[in-house]
Amino acid sequence: MTETQTPVLHCGRTTKHLHWWVLAALLCPVGGAIWRVGAPAAILVGTAAVAAWLGQVIVTRRVARHDGSIITGVILALTLPATSPFWLSPLGAMLAIVVGKHLAGGAGNTLFNPAAVGRALLMGLVPGVMFAAQWPTDAISTASPLAKEIDSVLVPWVDLFMGDHPGSLADAGPLFVLGGGVVLLLARVVDGWTPLCYFGAISLFSMILPPSGRIEGHAPWLATNPLFHLVGGGTLMVGFFMLTDPVTSPFTRRGRIVFAVTSALFVMLVRTYTVYPDAGVLSVLFANALVPLIDRRTI
Amino acid sequence: MKIKEHKHTASDPIKRLAPSPSVRFGAKGLCLVVAAGDSVRAGQLLAVSPREDRFAKHVCSPYNGSVVQIQPDVVVHGEPDVVVATGSHVAPLSLAPEYIVERAKVAGIVGMGGGAYPTHLKLTTGLPVDTVIVNGCESEPYLTCDARVLVEYRAEVDCGLQLAARAVGASRTLIANAHHGYPGGYEKTLVSEYCGHLVPTGQRPHHVGVIVINVQTARALHQAVCLGRPLLDRVVTVAGGAVGCPGNYLVPLGTEVGHVLKECATDVSKIAAVVLGGPMMGREAQLETTVEAWAGGVLALVPGEIHRPVDMPCIRCGDCLVACPAGLSARHLVLRPNPSLRDCTECGMCQYVCPAERPLVRLLRQAKAKIG
Repeated sequence: MTETQTPVLHCGRTTKHLHWWVLAALLCPVGGAIWRVGAPAAILVGTAAVAAWLGQVIVTRRVARHDGSIITGVILALTLPATSPFWLSPLGAMLAIVVGKHLAGGAGNTLFNPAAVGRALLMGLVPGVMFAAQWPTDAISTASPLAKEIDSVLVPWVDLFMGDHPGSLADAGPLFVLGGGVVLLLARVVDGWTPLCYFGAISLFSMILPPSGRIEGHAPWLATNPLFHLVGGGTLMVGFFMLTDPVTSPFTRRGRIVFAVTSALFVMLVRTYTVYPDAGVLSVLFANALVPLIDRRTI
Repeated sequence: MKIKEHKHTASDPIKRLAPSPSVRFGAKGLCLVVAAGDSVRAGQLLAVSPREDRFAKHVCSPYNGSVVQIQPDVVVHGEPDVVVATGSHVAPLSLAPEYIVERAKVAGIVGMGGGAYPTHLKLTTGLPVDTVIVNGCESEPYLTCDARVLVEYRAEVDCGLQLAARAVGASRTLIANAHHGYPGGYEKTLVSEYCGHLVPTGQRPHHVGVIVINVQTARALHQAVCLGRPLLDRVVTVAGGAVGCPGNYLVPLGTEVGHVLKECATDVSKIAAVVLGGPMMGREAQLETTVEAWAGGVLALVPGEIHRPVDMPCIRCGDCLVACPAGLSARHLVLRPNPSLRDCTECGMCQYVCPAERPLVRLLRQAKAKIG
């Protein structure tokens, strides 16, 4: 008897379909960054996408279609400072794909989000570039809205949404990141519980964690208004585009809720009790490391 | 996850298919009781199941004609017996349970919902059974034959249900036709839905005192007991993009799929896959494959209707777990088979939703073979 081949039907929601939707959703923050920052943003994103694709071709020695490397490259570029030198994003994208993805197990087998790995490696390899570009002095504003330094200023919330403060490319227009996130949710590309629990937990922790002396002294508004934590520091980018990567998040919805809340707790502890202004991408890696444990308890 | 239904033939009354000049039966493993050249009457035994193989079934000729070949298959040339008596119902309580079981065995009745499990075995569980359910859910996409039989031959189905209840000594009878979409007709789900009993892993519904039989099995039981007519034909849904005249047809068993499709004005050049049974749990067939008792559909699907797995890397989305009616994680069972695989019915929902388009049903079958 010949081997049976049923089922011969499929719902049509394929990896290829999901990848196109993520790219479509990424057009929002990319468009926003280009509108706010101009040509440098287009160059950073474009070179990262090309480098990620090339990295994948070089490592696997074949032209893979729909394997998501371009998505990784674009997400990585969006987490880089808007004033990065031109070589930073292709270097990061190469590191993300070669080290973060293929050396770490290949498509579908990575423990850590490749884009987050790429960014973490950049912070380790070229910290001077990463941190120097992080908080450039600017006519509009001087620092990340999450900074808690002596000269920290309260950023008006309209500016916060419209990105009138320097930061990463994604921070150049949080409203656009939000738009991209809504596209992901409406197209049912990601499990909406992950971003919703992440944002919910960040709001909750920002209100219940007792503020450190540093916050009380220099930026008391950070202790009273969760909006700064939700909109600043790439939180939207992390919640919508990084924690929702199915490969590096838990298998069940219950697990994904635990994962999102853990990540939120980590990022809020850093923001509240350290000098470091932001740990969005580090919180992704921290939560990724817990996925095997979470999966073992929830499947 | 709602699966697309494609049940366009739901309101097509059952028609009799123009008969093929011959019918064919695989005789492998059976003891033939006819020889080439014998003339046979419709309903006459062609082969009996050997004593040592309890799952084999008797085969009866649906045709009046002659046996033209017995190797490798039995081929009967002739035409079907078109006179089918109706309206005769024997009172179930006047019959001994053993008599009903024996009639089912002699008539060659098997599960017509896809399982092909011999009905006489199902009716002799050896355990107390209090409920018999006729499964009219027919959740497979495209298939509407059971629904039509329930509409057009309700009295015969009811009679068959009463006979089955008498055979097993059940006091309660139900016709389940709730429509929840695929895989709603899964018998363990039906039992928990209609009787409130959970059927444990590795057990069958009769372990909790319930048996579930298909609509057309019930009707065949009525015909066997009340009319003395063995299982000779069944109602089949003929559908798919390549079929010119889709609908529900009464088809003699042993008719070639190619003949069925030709009579239904099928454009053979457009066919991408022929499926015997439903598109989720049926079997892929060739034009020479014959219609069997378990197969509720003959589908001629065009390229746009079907999907072949391409097996990209798993993206760990967890959709297979969400889609599985038994709550199993196909991804993990394929990697590390474990005994919970016995709950997998190979319904194919995991493969239907898998974004990586993996051949999960095939992989799960291989995993099952590993745990033995």
